[in-house]
Parts: sequence; C-alpha cells; structure tokens
Amino acid sequence: MPGESCLFEMRGIAKSFGGVKALDGIDLQLRAGECLGLCGENGAGKSTLMKVLSGVYPHGSWDGEIRWQGEPLRARSVRDSERAGIVIIHQELMLVPQLSVAENIFLGHELTRPGGRMDYDAMYARAGALLKELGLHDVNVAMPAMHYGGGHQQLFEIAKALAKDAKLLILDEPTSSLTTSETEVLLGIVEDLKRRGVACIYISHKLDEVMRVCDTVSVIRDGRHIATQPIAELDVDTLITLMVGRKLENLYPRIEHAIGEVIFEARHATCLDPVNPQRKRVDDVSFQLRRGEILGIAGLVGAGRTELVSAIFGAYQGKSSVEVLLEGRPLKLRSPADAIRAGLGMVPEDRKRHGIVPLLGVGDNITLATLAHYAHAGHIDRQRELAAVEAQIAARRVKTASPALPIARLSGGNQQKAVLARMLLARPKVLILDEPTRGVDVGAKAEIYRLIFELAAQGVAIILVSSELPEVLGMADRVLVMGEGRLRGDFPNQGLTQEQVLAAAIDASARAA
Amino acid sequence: MPAQSIQQLFARYKILALLLVVAAIWIFFHAATGDFITARNISNLFRQMAITGMLACGMVFVIIAGEIDLSVGSLLGLLGGVVAVLTVNQGWSTPVAIAAVLVLGVLIGLFNGFWVTRLRVPSFIVGLGGMLAFRGALLGTTHSATIAPVPADLVYLGQGYVAPLWSTLLGVAIFVVVAALALLRRRRRAQLQIRQLPWWADLLKVVAIGIALAVFVATLNRYGGIPLPVLILVALLAVFSYLANQTVLGRHIYAMGGNLEATRLSGVNVARVKLVVFGIMGLMCAFAGIVNTARLAAGSPAAGTNGELDAIAACFIGGASMRGGAGTVHGALIGALVMASLDNGMSMMDAETYWQYIVKGAILVLAVWVDVLSRPQRD
Repeated sequence: MPGESCLFEMRGIAKSFGGVKALDGIDLQLRAGECLGLCGENGAGKSTLMKVLSGVYPHGSWDGEIRWQGEPLRARSVRDSERAGIVIIHQELMLVPQLSVAENIFLGHELTRPGGRMDYDAMYARAGALLKELGLHDVNVAMPAMHYGGGHQQLFEIAKALAKDAKLLILDEPTSSLTTSETEVLLGIVEDLKRRGVACIYISHKLDEVMRVCDTVSVIRDGRHIATQPIAELDVDTLITLMVGRKLENLYPRIEHAIGEVIFEARHATCLDPVNPQRKRVDDVSFQLRRGEILGIAGLVGAGRTELVSAIFGAYQGKSSVEVLLEGRPLKLRSPADAIRAGLGMVPEDRKRHGIVPLLGVGDNITLATLAHYAHAGHIDRQRELAAVEAQIAARRVKTASPALPIARLSGGNQQKAVLARMLLARPKVLILDEPTRGVDVGAKAEIYRLIFELAAQGVAIILVSSELPEVLGMADRVLVMGEGRLRGDFPNQGLTQEQVLAAAIDASARAA
Repeated sequence: MPAQSIQQLFARYKILALLLVVAAIWIFFHAATGDFITARNISNLFRQMAITGMLACGMVFVIIAGEIDLSVGSLLGLLGGVVAVLTVNQGWSTPVAIAAVLVLGVLIGLFNGFWVTRLRVPSFIVGLGGMLAFRGALLGTTHSATIAPVPADLVYLGQGYVAPLWSTLLGVAIFVVVAALALLRRRRRAQLQIRQLPWWADLLKVVAIGIALAVFVATLNRYGGIPLPVLILVALLAVFSYLANQTVLGRHIYAMGGNLEATRLSGVNVARVKLVVFGIMGLMCAFAGIVNTARLAAGSPAAGTNGELDAIAACFIGGASMRGGAGTVHGALIGALVMASLDNGMSMMDAETYWQYIVKGAILVLAVWVDVLSRPQRD
C-alpha cells in the first residue's frame, strides 16, 4: 500500500549456514497496529528469519535490508533491536524461575535509584500495572515466577516485552504450552495490543489462531517467500496448499518388505507437561504396529510425538502412563533399561544431549547398550568387543579414522550412524527412530534410509518420527498424524499427499471455520 | 606455531607432562636440600603418598562419574579410629578387626551413595555433611584421645617392608605378567584379525615398563625393600586400572560422567553404577584409614584432616575433568605423588607450614590451568 507509512520493512533477506541457504530473498512489511501471521512447515525458515529481525544474528551476518520507521536498522545484538522497540518472545519461556515476577519483568532493564540500588517500590507498582493491563489482577509480583503456571508465565513474558516499550512484538508459537482457556486469554491480549498500535508477528502452526488474530499472512517455504495475502482472501485449505509443496526427492531406495502380524501395541498413552501439569502433552493415544512395518508419526513441532515415544520407551521426564504390549504380552517398562531388555530400541531426537557420549570413543559409544554381551563376570573381552565394533563400523559405513577416536570429532551423520549401530547391536524387535536424519548430510541420509528399509525387510517393526513430510511419505507404510497431543489420523501410505497429512496435523476445528 | 605443537604434545601425552612436573619438583628439591633424591627419602616419599593415593584411587572414580565426595578425610579418620578401638580397647584380633572395618567402610560409602542416588541430595552436600558428622563420630568413638598402642601386626602393615629378595622376585613376576599380557593380546588380535600396533611399539612399551620397574625396585631395595603401604598401593593401581579399562562397570562410569542422559537412554542403570562408585570410595577410605593408623601406630582423633582436599587435588592434577567423564587412575596417583613430593620436599627445606599450604594451593591451580590450556577449545 504505497503512501501509507510502514513501521517496518524487510527487503531481500538471505542467510546461509555453511553454504546451505536457510533464507533466500524474503520481503515482509508491517504497519503499526497490524498483526502479520507467519506460516510455514517445520524447517521452512521462520525462526531463522525472526532471529535476523531480532538481532540474534547480528547485522552483517546476513544479506538484505531492514528498514525500521523509515530508517535502515543495523542491530548488532538483541539489545540494539530491543532499544529500537522490537521484542521477541521465544517459544520456550525465558524466565528465571527463582526471581520474583517483577524482577523477571525488569531483568536487564531494572529500575534503579541513585547508586544502583534497585527501586523495588517502583518496579512492583509498574509490574502490577502492566499485568493489570493484561487482565491479571491476582498476581503477587514479589513472589518467585515459578509459583505461577505456564499460562501466567507466558503473560509475564508479554509484560516483560511491554516494559521495554515494544512497538513490534514477535510471538513464536506462544500457545504451544498453554491450555485452551489460557490460549483464549492470550489471543484477547494480542487483539488488545493491536488496538493500542503495537504491531505483531504471530508465528504459529495453529491456523485457527492465525485466522483469528492476524490481518495478513505470509507463507514461507524452504527459505523462500511464497505469498502474502490479507486474511479475508484466505481460508485454511488455501493456506495449507501454500505451505506444502516441497519437492519429493528420490532419496528413498524402497526395498519391498513383507508386513506381518501385529507385534506391538501401545494403549492410552498420556503424558503430562512437567511444568504445567494441567496440560496434557500426549492425550490418550493408542496404536498398533506390525512386524516389518514402518510406521511414520507425523505432526507439527509440539504435537507430542517425542513425548509419546519417550513414554513408551520408559524415558519420559514427567508423569506419564501407557500400556505397552509386545507380541501380545503386556510389558512393564519403568526405565530404558527395561525397554531394551524387552526388545525395544530408541534413537533419541537430540543427538548431542541424548545420543552420544562425546568424550568416549566411537567404539565405546557403539557398545554402550550391549556391553554385557562382551563380558564375563564384568570383565570386558576388549578384543571381542573391538571385533564387533569394527563389524558395525563397516556395516553402517561409519567414517572414522579409528574406533578409539572420540565420537565428538565425527560429522553429525557419522555420529548418528554410530548411535544407530548401538541400538542395532541390542537386536530390537521394535525400533523407535526420533528424527533420525536431523542435522545429517544428504549422503548419510540416504544410507540411513536404506538401513531402515533393510531392517524392515528383516522383520523389525519401525516407528519413524519425523518433522519432514517428504521423509514420512517416502519411508512409511502407514502414517499416524498427531496434533496437540492427540491422534488426528491414521492413514495407509497409498496415494497419501502432504496436503492430507498437514491438514490432519492442523486443528480439525479450524477447517470447519 | 611452537606453542601450539607443545600444546598438542601435552594433550596427547598428558602423563609425560605430569612426569616432567614430578621430575622438575624432585630436581628442584634435590638442588635445594642436597639429599632429596636418595633411596631413603624416595622410600619415605612413596610411603607418605600411599594414603592420599588410596583415597585418590576411589576419588577418581567418583569424579569421573561426575560427582564429588568431601567426606573421605573424616571417614578415613573414623575408620582408622574404629580399627584402633577394636584392636586396643576391645581386644579383637587384627585380621578380624581389619575385615570388620573394610565392611564398615563399604557400608558407609553405600550410605553416602544412597543419599545421592535415591534421595537425590547433591553429592557436594552429602560429602559436606559427612565431613562434619564422621569427624564427630570419630571424636565420640575415641573420646577425643589417642588410642595406643595398637598391636604389632597392625603396625607392621604401615611400617613394614617386603624383604629385598622378595621385592625383586615380585618385580620380576610383575614384569613377566605384563609381558605375557602383551603377548596374549597380540595373539588374540591376530586371531580376530583386528588392527595391531607394530611389534616394536609393543616391545618398546614392555621394555619401558621393565626399566621403570627395575629402577623402582632397586631404589627401594637399597632402603629395606618395598614398604608394605606402597605394595598395597601398587596392587590397588593394578586393580583400579583394570576396573577402569577392562570392565563393564568402568566403561559405564566414564559414559555416565560424559553424558548421563545418553547413558540412561542406552539402558544403563545409572543409579546403581553411582551407588557402587560410592561403595568403592568407602572401601578405599577403610584401606587408607587402616594403613594410616598402622603407620602412626595409634588411632588419632585428628587423623585424615584435609585428606579429602589432597585426594581431590591429586585427581585434578592427574587430569580428571571437573565436568566428569575424563580421568585416569595412574594420573590421579601421579597427582598424589606431586602433592606428597611438595610436602616432603618442603619439610626437608624446613619451610614453615604456611608455605606448604600456599605452594600446594598454587600448584593445584597451575596444574589445572595447564590442563585447561592443553584441552581443545569447546564452544
């Protein structure tokens, strides 16, 4: 809209990580009081774009131009962009739980008296006033933030942004840890902020929320700007069509494999959020799995997929309950040790934090789960162990100078192959792979895919959790779709399209609207 | 850059660097006193380090597992006091009293571990509490008085020597075992067709060990033979190195300290491993306590004061990581040797006690600084 003054404008933003283009020429603009929805699949580049805007990636580490109130903005840090009035609220809460609500709201911008003394009276008064504006009347701002639930904490984050005089508020999946009623409150507040002239960028997978609060929606895909349209011209189905459409690469060397009888069953899996126990991260999910079957579990970030498989494996860090049956026998799995003994295996999502032991050698990492196989009375037969390690290194094509090399020195793909080898040595009947190709180069990806098909052909039942739709559709025999902790669909993978999966993953109620 | 290649050298051969430090300390004290490097003093030095060394053996496992135990000095004192009370006041025979104290040590260690693993109190706090409580228990047990004289057979354990002839035979036996193990390993690897080190590298290793052993035994033989506490320490070095490198337990300790969550997800019962580590630490306190009482020929209410600090310092000087997951038994023992050398050398120089504290403190910080420098930079 020429003539009308833009609060903010991005032109041709591009950013690469090690030769890979994460963003490729993105344009966005926003007026005061406007709310822009930013949509895209997992990994489309939304978070990267917001990190550029909020100064997490300093000026100069990306190409393109940001204009703020007509002037070029060259933020070298988060502090610079905050001073201009751009504040981001991250998906994970960034509060210091032990500090009081008021101290959190003013963290880094404390109100002081001469001599650097904290002006608690002023901070308490101002914090109370800010929270009242947000409709919170019953908060004791002198209490530690951890005394309040997830919904309140999210609002404290917003109060923190308002205390910085935000003119542009970026909300990254703000409702991902909120209950339905808490979400209602938050959406009301966003609408109220708009009326007061604050501009918002609203990033969410929940398209019903986007449809409700946003004036305009921009869709990005694979780092490219796909479309920007006023909300009035859009409906959920159109949005979904714009979001998908990544091309299916021929990375999937399908090996035909026979699918046998039902071997595994999970019933009534439920996980509570460790921070906000009123909220269910997984809500009564049941499914079956057959011998030799590759079961894809798709869903958007925060749908509860990782929580589901962790609970099955006895590894969920919070309250959970699930009935697990393997070959018809009910299992009681209280720890990963129980699960592995029973014939389950899991390659966890976060390789650095949950997969590798960085200081140990590649070989020691590979045999970590099955060390007892190479030992008599606690004594490891190092030579037998080494033989098994070298066999795995060769079979899985782990590229390493020596089995003794610390695993941290290997590339992501080779680390992942070693973690896979660790679980395969335990000869699982059911293998859970949680994002097995995240952060893995294309070559290693293809090798991991081939391995998965080989295992299925040998009769191993595989649960493949993945955020990449092409991967799920390229690999799975059957696809479960999860959304907001619930099972939203169970499709045989015959003629299944990305649109169908994504539509199921996004709230069904939004489609009716 | 030369600085970088020195850094790489140290990173690769940490033990070499440590041995150089020991050599430098010895040469310095020999130059200052004129009689530091003599058979008599070296024999004394090794006997002095035995007690810290025993604690360090257990402590290095605790630190590799990512924990710490501050109670070991007081526990050493308590267990040493108990063995004195049992033999002197209760009239128990020495072997029975020793066996009882070893069992008691394991039980107290497991009790500490129970607080850490099941009740989830941080080990630093459990250790701090134990440090006070065990010292109190010792004062109560001994009524704050020295318990003496302990029986002669117990004193022998702390002050006796293995006769030179037997020492020589022992040295030869150890050498034969080392050589045989190297040979067996080569044969097994050939059988399984695993990559081998070239034969001269293995030979060089065996020969180097042989020379070190010969010098060690010959030196000690010139002053009565191998002191019994040193013999015990050498045996412990063998056992703990074996545990660390050849057993499932050892591998799980390293894995747990390196990444607790990944180890748990690999099906390791991490709580049980940690419990065992604390049990072993208790056992080492019993060893150290018994030998300490034997060496002093009395149970003292002040025994083991600051012992935990020497043991922890020894581990860190020996290359153990504050974050867990890294460290070696022989490194910890060389660390103990560094601490003992400083104590011994400065007493010979008639340096005031306060200097000993200052120098030991400075060496600890410097040693860990060098270790940090030699480590590859991480994010």
